[in-house]
Amino acid sequence: MTGPGPAAPTARPPAGRRAGDPLIRLFHVSKSYGASFALRDVSLEVRKGEMVFLTGPSGAGKTTLMKLLFAAERPSEGQILVLGRNVGRLRESGIPALRRRVGVVFQDFKLIATRTVEDNVALALEVRGRPPREVRAKSFAMLKRVGLQHRRHQHPPSLSGGEQQRVALARALVNEPAILVADEPTGNLDAALTLEIMDLVAAAAARGTTVMVATHDQALIRRYARRTLRLDAGRLVEDLPAGGAR
Amino acid sequence: MSAFFHQLVYFARTALRGLRASPVTSAVSIATIAVAVIPLGGLLVITGNMRALLDAYGRERHLTAFLDPQLADAQAEALARHVGALAGVAHVELVSREQALERFRKRLGGSALLEALEENPLPASLEIALRPEDRSAERVRAVAAAIEKLPGVDEVAGGETWIEGYARALALVRGAGAGLGAVLAFATLLVVANTIRLAVYARRDELEILALVGASRTFMRTPFLIEGVVQGALGGAIGLALLYGAFRVVVPQLGDALELFLGWSDPSFLSARGMGLLIGGGAAFGLVGAAIAVARTRIS
Repeated sequence: MTGPGPAAPTARPPAGRRAGDPLIRLFHVSKSYGASFALRDVSLEVRKGEMVFLTGPSGAGKTTLMKLLFAAERPSEGQILVLGRNVGRLRESGIPALRRRVGVVFQDFKLIATRTVEDNVALALEVRGRPPREVRAKSFAMLKRVGLQHRRHQHPPSLSGGEQQRVALARALVNEPAILVADEPTGNLDAALTLEIMDLVAAAAARGTTVMVATHDQALIRRYARRTLRLDAGRLVEDLPAGGAR
Repeated sequence: MSAFFHQLVYFARTALRGLRASPVTSAVSIATIAVAVIPLGGLLVITGNMRALLDAYGRERHLTAFLDPQLADAQAEALARHVGALAGVAHVELVSREQALERFRKRLGGSALLEALEENPLPASLEIALRPEDRSAERVRAVAAAIEKLPGVDEVAGGETWIEGYARALALVRGAGAGLGAVLAFATLLVVANTIRLAVYARRDELEILALVGASRTFMRTPFLIEGVVQGALGGAIGLALLYGAFRVVVPQLGDALELFLGWSDPSFLSARGMGLLIGGGAAFGLVGAAIAVARTRIS
């Protein structure tokens, strides 16, 4: 769907922020739970429109880093700026506004089983109080983009794993977020479905969304050849540029 | 504004979905509120009727002056005019001996005892209503004393002794009602709060997902509050309907006893305001119960 290379030009740069500006910045960030550190002194920047892989063994801190980006966790030390907001200092009432601009996809999909596919996607628009007509139109368009418009009246449990992840992706992208965070989005999928999902993720990046994908699937990282951050025991041990040697 | 309206529609839909998703717990909650509303509503009916009787008494008759049986009709009328001009008197009605007998007969429903009477034993009387500012026990006694001194007046019945007793009984019933109300309200709050808590737990995965897509706390909590309000209002309405049914069945059975002991000749059900109070009160308790539940359950 999209080829490797520099990030595609942004379709709609946010006001006051040039294309290529860092949307995510971490300055010496640590996260500890009691005496054990999940992240230790991590500093990095991700620019607008970049697609970045986050890799490392289990327990390296990938999920913790992802959670910090949508304020599901707060840093123990250091500063995190996401879309110009200091996540560490964000008040609880400020979290929803951040999350409306950061789409999130998980390995276990996190879909509401009792609601239809369309309703699941619509949720991201409904929390913003969008009018029903717009909610329906955008949900339908987004489901069409992930090839599931014909399944919109079904419930998630009747869908395959790949289809469910496409619904989750549709929900994450329907608000046209500035950032897409995907934590092992293909962890539960076979090789063919993995590529299906990753092509959709790469297409979002091509449209100007900043994407961070956590994965330990090295074949995937080689195939897409994007910038790759490697964590080990909570430390950032490697930052390879797009197309860089591995 | 329109975003607010769209969210309101979403909240209502979500709340109804929630009620349908757990029909048994919702039904238990509604039934509890209904059961609590019945005794409270019953007490409101009782106190309402007692109050109405006192008010009617206050409006119509404060003092009754029994007249000398020897008094001619014209003299009785002159006396009535005189009393009507006294300070503190608002209105006077002359009840002739015939009228008194007629009333007595009506009240006893054609008793054989009356048929046996050869002569009318009842005196004519003046029913005297006092001005609102002259209805204190002190003023009533003063006016009664003034009337009692008038020639042609045998005796003045104040009625204030039974009226005070009746007023005390009303205060007692009200006090008992307030106590019972507090206990029932507390029990209702607990049941609603627990029902809504169960609903919150049942939907915690959904709430987690809502939080991830950027729902505010208000957005997540409001449907539960609406659920509480709907349960409360439904419980109130059902309790009220059951109470009305009981009222229609029980009152005709007890008609004579109610008249004899409480002086209710035609007891009335709750006023529209009273009914609104019960349903609105149910809704309010539903809301407070739900608010307690969501405040005590971590939603973020």
